Amino acid sequence: MNIFIPLLVGILIGYILRRKGRKVNADLPMSAALLLLIFFMGVEAGKVEIDALWLLVSSVIFAAMTILGSLGIALIVGGRG
Amino acid sequence: MRFLIYVLLVLVAGILTGHFYAPEFGNLYEIMLYLLIMIIGIDLGQSFRLREIRKLGGLAIKLPLSTLLGSLLGGLAASLSLGIELKWGLAIAAGCGWYSLTGPLIAQYSAVYGTLGFLANLTREIFTVLLYPLVIGRIRKELAVSMGGATTMDTTLPIMTKFGGSEVGLIAFIHGFVLTALVPFIVPFILQF
Repeated sequence: MNIFIPLLVGILIGYILRRKGRKVNADLPMSAALLLLIFFMGVEAGKVEIDALWLLVSSVIFAAMTILGSLGIALIVGGRG
Repeated sequence: MRFLIYVLLVLVAGILTGHFYAPEFGNLYEIMLYLLIMIIGIDLGQSFRLREIRKLGGLAIKLPLSTLLGSLLGGLAASLSLGIELKWGLAIAAGCGWYSLTGPLIAQYSAVYGTLGFLANLTREIFTVLLYPLVIGRIRKELAVSMGGATTMDTTLPIMTKFGGSEVGLIAFIHGFVLTALVPFIVPFILQF
């Protein structure tokens, strides 16, 4: 199934609920679904051989590069001031 | 902060379970993912307010778009330096710090890159919390918001409001909100290639 379908269905449900003046608290179901998903993701990752050091170094490089990229373009667009 | 600890504990528990027992869950993973995406959609549908975005004018759209573009460029550089296929690198970067969505989305296709997507975006969030107060000493407070990506509407919002003031808090919220609306579309789009 395409990932956009549940997303658009959810947005539509949320919009309808808002129009009807009803608000559903999505925090708890979202946290529960998220923790289960992360567990399953960990299980799948645990089945394959992963170099922990490579994972750590790559994570830090990706985080640093994406932050620097975002700040750089924000400075170009917004000016240094 | 407590939830972050739960997340890390659950991830470690999952990795250990997979490593020692290698259980099969069938398509439960996919079902949970679609459920999570739908709940995210409901949350977006309930809270989306065009009026709030209009209040800030051009910056409300320019800043999140520049954050996304910069993040993708950063992902491109990281992919090239680490020798990772561009598709994975761009998908990881397009997460803009939203680790809980990016990791599971990528893990549908690759467990290794799913885990990297998760940890890289989690690291971005942690770096933002640690470095935002330092970065605003050199860069305008409202522009420095871009380092937090999609997290600036929730987890990193308190640190930005505390150090940047309430005006930056509003910018951060809308910046994160716009990215939160874009990321669930951009990451799957990149993964289709």
